Amino acid sequence: MERIPILKMGDFLLVTIQVDMHDRLAMTLQDDLTERISRTGAHGVLIDISSLEIVDSFIGRMLANIAGMARVLDAATVVVGMQPAVAITLVELGLELPGVRTALDVDKGMRVLRHALGRPTPQEADAGAEG
Amino acid sequence: MALPLLSVELRGEQDIVLARQRARQIAAHLGLDSQDQTRLATAVSELARNAWQYAGGGRVEYGLHGHDSLLTVTVSDRGPGIPHLGLVLDGRYDSPTGMGVGIVGSRRLVDQFEVDTEPGRGTRIVMGKRLPRLESGAVPAIAELAHALAATAPDGASTELREQNRELLNTLSALQARQLEIERLNGELAETNRGVLALYGELDEKAAELARASELKSQFLSDMSHELRTPLHSIINLTRLLLERLDGPLTPEQQRQVALIRQSATGLSQLVNDLLDLARIEAGKTTLRASVFELAEVCATLRGVFRPLVAGDAVSLVFAEPPRLPVFHTDEGRLSQILRNLISNALKFTAAGEVVVSAAPERDGTVRISVRDTGIGIAAGDQERIFEPYVQLDNPLQRNATGTGLGLPLSRRLATLLGGTLTVTSTPGEGSCFTLTIPPLLPGLPASDARLELEHA
Repeated sequence: MERIPILKMGDFLLVTIQVDMHDRLAMTLQDDLTERISRTGAHGVLIDISSLEIVDSFIGRMLANIAGMARVLDAATVVVGMQPAVAITLVELGLELPGVRTALDVDKGMRVLRHALGRPTPQEADAGAEG
Repeated sequence: MALPLLSVELRGEQDIVLARQRARQIAAHLGLDSQDQTRLATAVSELARNAWQYAGGGRVEYGLHGHDSLLTVTVSDRGPGIPHLGLVLDGRYDSPTGMGVGIVGSRRLVDQFEVDTEPGRGTRIVMGKRLPRLESGAVPAIAELAHALAATAPDGASTELREQNRELLNTLSALQARQLEIERLNGELAETNRGVLALYGELDEKAAELARASELKSQFLSDMSHELRTPLHSIINLTRLLLERLDGPLTPEQQRQVALIRQSATGLSQLVNDLLDLARIEAGKTTLRASVFELAEVCATLRGVFRPLVAGDAVSLVFAEPPRLPVFHTDEGRLSQILRNLISNALKFTAAGEVVVSAAPERDGTVRISVRDTGIGIAAGDQERIFEPYVQLDNPLQRNATGTGLGLPLSRRLATLLGGTLTVTSTPGEGSCFTLTIPPLLPGLPASDARLELEHA
């Protein structure tokens, strides 16, 4: 069966969606991801949608659902790499993705997650010492 | 006037993906920027999902209005219709399933939006997206676009199909390779088969040759025996003439020598006779002459024959008084020959004691005739070997005795011819007992004949 791979990176789970998902695949990802969070005890989830050219209401709802479920499972979710055209379309469509934090790329998303968990990166720690 | 470009049937979830990818593809071909491509594709995705979700399927058609440069996408279904269209379009309808943005959101993403819905009949939504500028003479290019779209398979179902096709082709080529391998093996097998058949042919030839050789051997033996017998008879008869002094007196020394000649010739004649018999049996040319007789008569004759041989010796030959036996109707000569062989053997290998010939009827109607001696006996390992032609056992008595080594094999074969068996039991040093078991009636003779002849006798 077709599945979206979920990678574990330290405390975080990284999901890179590279195909145009049909609805069932999106549902499967939602189930797989919540199962992985509870199994690994991950505290953060990064969902990279930089390859997605279309995010319609269904996929948007799936992203919001994942964020909500992850929160309940004590994990923060950051959606990264959304294309500008997708972002504009989402807003025009009337979708706000409530409760979903976003970042421009994986790096920034990682930083957002660390911040949220109260674990600043070394650079930030340095910057804080200087300031 | 709309120019149809393409249509996608919504038969499954996968087709929603196909519909939006097609929308994007067409939009890109017609020069819409990436933002508008995404807008249109998203709107198509929303409406296609609605059709799938609420009507269980539908149809997405892409068309072109050339004169006002409008790309239209028509999503139609035969579902239950949209009951609260007014609320939906006002954005006041709270969808229990979706995000409640499908129709309203889509309307915001395109330039024209018309909804035509009828409860119970279905819904038809036409969306229009203005194209940047369609240059004149672009219509042939659009026809090309339609062809290109038809030819290029979008991601999804047909990609899957292509993948499966490739796998199928791989499997086919693997199958073909296996087929070739099987054919090769078959070829090898056929070759081996031909070889085996050739070998069979050779074997048959060899067998035929062997049979011919065996026949020739028997023929040769039988011929030679005849040729040998004639001069031997002459020798024996001539020595008899000499010994009977018909040609004048002999000195004692001459008499001794002639007697030796005669003895040797007689032995030789016996050997030739045995050989002839054996050859005849092996060639299947033995003829049996059945006659009606009683065993007692045969015994009386044998007693007469052997009396001179045992006179004054340490060995006595005893014919036990036989119980009541059936009348025999078989080859008297052959039976007598077997018994003569057995008694002669027994006497030969018995230095002292007795040789007892006895007979008794068996329960199954056959008659058992035993020749028991108190001679040297035969070791267990040799008891079957003595029935093979030309086998003589090495022992002191044997060396003294003259013999052909054909007596027992011949006797056994004769016994078989008469429908009986010849067996031996023996304890070395104590003696042997040869037992002939034969039916009184020669196999192959009708029983009534025997009775008839008996009455005549």
